[in-house]
Amino acid sequence: MNTSSKSTALSADLNNFVYGVSRRNTQSTPELTKTGISLLKTFPAARDAVLEFFSIVFQEAVNVAISQTDYEADPNANSLLESVSMIGPELCNLGESWAPFIAPWCVNLIIDISTNKSNVPNSTLQSAEPVRVLLDITTQNLTLLGPEEKATCIDMMLESRWCGWAVGRVVRAEAGLVALVAPRALALGADAARALLAQLAHHAPALAHLKRALQTLFHDVIREDSMPESKRDVIPYLLNLASKSDVVLKAFTQDIEQTLSDEVVRRLGAVCGGGARWEGAAPASLVQLLMRTDARCLLLLLRHARNYQFCRQLLEHLLQKLEYECLFPDKTIPLLTSAAEEIHMIREKLLDGNQLEKYSLARLLILICYNQPSEFVSTISYLLQYSRDDATLALLVRIMSGTASMHVPNDTPDISTDTERYQDFIRTGVEHALRDAAMSDTQIKRCFIEGNVPKDQKTYMHYFCLNIIKLLRWESSKRVSQLRGRAVGRAVQASLYRLGAALQHYAALLRDPQLHHCTMRSLNEMPTCHALAEVLDRVDMSGTKGPLPSVESVLKVVQATVKYFFRCIHEPDVMNKVRGTQTACRLLRKLCGHSKLARAVGLRDLLEAAMFREERAFGTRAEPRAPDTDDLLIHLNQKHGPITQLTQSHTSVFHAGIIGKGVRKKSSHDENSLPPILTTNNELLMGALMACMDGNSGVVEGATSVALLLVELVSPDVMYNGLPWPDEDFTKQVSIERELYMRAALEASPVCRAALRRCGGARPALCLASALLRAAAATLLHRLRALLDRHTHSPEVERERATLTELLSTMTLGQLLPHPLSHMLELAPELTPNEIVQVLRDCLWNYTRDHVPSPALFTCDATGLHWRDPSSCKPPALYTDTLRIIIQKRIAKLGHLYPIMFLNLEKESSN
Amino acid sequence: MSLSDLKHSLRKYEFPVCAQEALVRIEQLLAGRTAPTNKQLVVAMEIISEFIFCESDRRGDRGRGAGLSSLQELQLIDILCEYLSSCNNETTKNTIFLSLFGGMESQRRLKVLSILASMAVSASSTPVLLAVGVWLQQTGCSSPQSLQLAENLIRDHFYLNTKNQKELRMLANTAPQFISNFITAVTELYVHDLSTKKMPPKNLLEVITSWVYSNPSLCMSAQLKPASLPSGSIPMAAATPLAGLIRWCSLAPLCLPSNVEDVEMMEISIPMKKIKLECEIDRSIVTTVQQKQLSEAELYIKLHLGVLHSLRSGKRTQGPPTAVNAQHLAALAPIVQTYAHDVLTRGLKLSNDEKLQECLNRLGQAVQVSLANGCVYGNVNNLLASLDTLPENRLLRIVIRTHQQNI
Repeated sequence: MNTSSKSTALSADLNNFVYGVSRRNTQSTPELTKTGISLLKTFPAARDAVLEFFSIVFQEAVNVAISQTDYEADPNANSLLESVSMIGPELCNLGESWAPFIAPWCVNLIIDISTNKSNVPNSTLQSAEPVRVLLDITTQNLTLLGPEEKATCIDMMLESRWCGWAVGRVVRAEAGLVALVAPRALALGADAARALLAQLAHHAPALAHLKRALQTLFHDVIREDSMPESKRDVIPYLLNLASKSDVVLKAFTQDIEQTLSDEVVRRLGAVCGGGARWEGAAPASLVQLLMRTDARCLLLLLRHARNYQFCRQLLEHLLQKLEYECLFPDKTIPLLTSAAEEIHMIREKLLDGNQLEKYSLARLLILICYNQPSEFVSTISYLLQYSRDDATLALLVRIMSGTASMHVPNDTPDISTDTERYQDFIRTGVEHALRDAAMSDTQIKRCFIEGNVPKDQKTYMHYFCLNIIKLLRWESSKRVSQLRGRAVGRAVQASLYRLGAALQHYAALLRDPQLHHCTMRSLNEMPTCHALAEVLDRVDMSGTKGPLPSVESVLKVVQATVKYFFRCIHEPDVMNKVRGTQTACRLLRKLCGHSKLARAVGLRDLLEAAMFREERAFGTRAEPRAPDTDDLLIHLNQKHGPITQLTQSHTSVFHAGIIGKGVRKKSSHDENSLPPILTTNNELLMGALMACMDGNSGVVEGATSVALLLVELVSPDVMYNGLPWPDEDFTKQVSIERELYMRAALEASPVCRAALRRCGGARPALCLASALLRAAAATLLHRLRALLDRHTHSPEVERERATLTELLSTMTLGQLLPHPLSHMLELAPELTPNEIVQVLRDCLWNYTRDHVPSPALFTCDATGLHWRDPSSCKPPALYTDTLRIIIQKRIAKLGHLYPIMFLNLEKESSN
Repeated sequence: MSLSDLKHSLRKYEFPVCAQEALVRIEQLLAGRTAPTNKQLVVAMEIISEFIFCESDRRGDRGRGAGLSSLQELQLIDILCEYLSSCNNETTKNTIFLSLFGGMESQRRLKVLSILASMAVSASSTPVLLAVGVWLQQTGCSSPQSLQLAENLIRDHFYLNTKNQKELRMLANTAPQFISNFITAVTELYVHDLSTKKMPPKNLLEVITSWVYSNPSLCMSAQLKPASLPSGSIPMAAATPLAGLIRWCSLAPLCLPSNVEDVEMMEISIPMKKIKLECEIDRSIVTTVQQKQLSEAELYIKLHLGVLHSLRSGKRTQGPPTAVNAQHLAALAPIVQTYAHDVLTRGLKLSNDEKLQECLNRLGQAVQVSLANGCVYGNVNNLLASLDTLPENRLLRIVIRTHQQNI
């Protein structure tokens, strides 16, 4: 650029500016601003004048922005604002060397503006565009300053009492400044500091700096070498400040554990000890302060309460105050709110704290629970899950009763609904605990990964059950006044369905330890099942003390119990097995006593499971394994004999056997004999069945349904065939195959046979199972006839005889065969097959064909017992003659039966 | 017109106009053919105080003056600038300028002067600059006022406004007397001893180097062309910046961070880091590295060469030497000795210390050139004696011996 032209341009600018400013109006402001900016750049020495002009512009712009809200229309205002927006970026970007000039200018301007506008609300002022621009410039330039210059600027701002907000804003934008502001603010005296710190409060990093400043101050006080007298008022000052300012309090208490470490507390005790009491540190004001702190402070206080008398008193004071304050419904107490937020911590402490801590926290929890029902529920749930000793459970009782009995004004109309409400909460709590415990069991646990599972490790569900059991025990002991209302019992009763579902779930777990090797599931599930069953066992389901449980839940529990029963059958330990099955029986008895539906379901489930799923446990033998393909009969028969054919030799050999089972093997005695009925498991099952039928007249009804069920389960297609016995020929021609199948099924299942016997005992239930008896009789007739020409001691014959004995004994027991016929049982072993066939056909089959065994034959006597009067149902001679002839023929051997069977008969007939 | 009427007539005007008018009146009073009388001088001073700087109010009692606002200052400066530029007579101009700012005591006037000078530099206004140069010379380049002025100028033009380097370099051609005096004042500001290590900013160093290097006669220009002063005043001896620059160059190796190579390594290693971090600006950084400006150490070398050239051209054909005061050079000895002592206490050998040897070499060269060209005035023996106390250096030894023999 040419020197002269540059020179003239500069002087022209200068001229314009100087005379423009002195004759300024708002219209020319943008022009002048532009000139000013260019002057600033080319002629830095003119900065004083230019900045002075700028500050006038800013002040006017602030005026405009504040006074008029709709200044868009005003051209003057617009030009001012335009100038401001021109100045802003320029001054922001001047750079580091300018900052020492710009920053103080900004600060002074801010002070001027805020002092002039001290009557304008801060928010209006802050939202004004020019102020925002100005603050931007300030922030930008402050960051470029060195530490001392920064400090000077901040000090300038802090000295003005009106521009605390500006400090707040600037600091918010530039975090580094907080470190400067915070200590200075603390030095201002309580009220001013509070106002200023409130400005800082919204700024997240501010808290950290403030904390540091506070801690520096604090640690100065308690340092060993500090002079106690001179620094004594710092702590009261801090307390005072904290009582006035939330931010200070928050900064103080944020990491209170670190601030007040044990060492510090000891030192503090030394500093404070002995001297006069501080003003502002009296217990009452401390309690006020503590009520605004958070839960961690409380925990700290609790920790120190062990060692310091003062803390104990303070704690008691605090708790009483809290309890009092809680009576005002609309009051929110920060300590309680924070405790509610940190409730996990508090609950944990409740579990593992010392006694003082536990009791204090329980009181606190009562207050929290009173205010927030959801916490009440979760507290109950938590304690039910994690409580491991009586003391904690006692605390739970205390919390429950305490919360429910918090002061309620007497004039409230809904005391009863209130109780209902709490009862509902407790129920929900129990349900949650149940659900959570089940869920916890499926979570991966460290002890399983590390492989250091404690020996007595129990599942969470188990613990939960133990806790519930204990509570129920306390409740039923009637010695605990707080449990008079049977809150827990009712809650458990209400969650019967879930308990049932849980039992079903746990009993259904057949776990592969490899699969769940990291969760509680790798533990044996049986202890949990036992515990669950015991809980159920303790629940009152009679309906005497509360509403009857719903049908749905009863059914659920029944199903679960059946499952549990079968699991118990598999228990290796005999005592556990017996105890478990007894519990199951008790449960079934309780459940089925009141509900026929439950009985039906129970019986069906028991029988079905015993016959088809768990049949092995009851003696049913495994199906013979399918033979290897080579052994298939069809293949064997296709193989031809020796290659070299001799004359007259067999050209081929056919193997005999059962199709599908290969060549007939030499059957052992073991396999051929009937599986025994009298086994422990069978007896236990029968016990369970009987338990289902317990009650007045229940046995007959139950047995009836058992009989029907047996028919259904063995062969559903004869369910509806009715009672009559057809002609023997009819079976031979039509139904023999089905009957063979039915008999095989019957024989294979000891459960079935045992159940038939029970039915026989419970007359007249057996009538309804006559299809099964019929099948046995028909097949016996058929088979024995076929065996006539064989030798008499083969295993098959033995088996036939055993079946015969059983058939006869069952029928006799069920009074289907009246007096003389009933003695066939004793007669049978002595008879030859030929004779047996005759007896069976003439005496059994024909008799029952002509006298259909139906419940109608049985009369009910006064005691409710059904029986068939032997005197009224003498079988005609037609059916007994065969017996008589056989006995007469073999009188030498069977003579002792004759008088028993026939003499009385004759005597009577002679009468 | 009587002298009192003069004031009265001026009082009719408001500020900017009254200053303009006052300048005209003062010119009439002071720049006559003959030297002004005492009374005229007093009245002129009163007018300056009242109507130009507004230091006293209308009734003329001092100390209660309103002073000027910064805007008015600017107005005044504009007026002054205009007046000085339009003034044809060099002597008149200097007379007015010195009477305006000659008073040593007023901080306010000094401020106005600073702004005026700064503006002159910004606008490359030669007449004003020359006047400032005369003022510097008359006030003494190392006086506190001059130093303050120099500081203000440096701040304005080397810190705040950094985009005017080209124009600044041109000034050496248009106003060499000012530049020479300015450099003299600047040398007083920096590199006094090793403990504070107050070094000039790099752009200042660059500009000074360019001035000295490109124009060997610059340093002597204040002496070569004596200022036109008002009649009757005593011209002050013009000091040259040479002594100060020799100090800068000699002490620079001791003051600059450890090693030339290290400095370069450092300067390069910073962009290397940036390259790693910000790949996208890779190219731009490489180009800046290529057209890299000289490092400070290199600048000092160049400056040293420029100073030696200037010394050679500083030889005066007649009269005693005036360029370099022997005393100034001798004052370097204690500083170097302090450094040497430091090195010794650290247990190192002096002959192995490259920085020290470099320093002594440069000193030796400067002394040799200046003595050989007869630029040194003052007690040369004393200078040689103090140089003799310095640590062993071959060049220096030779120089000392040569000149001791000569004397």
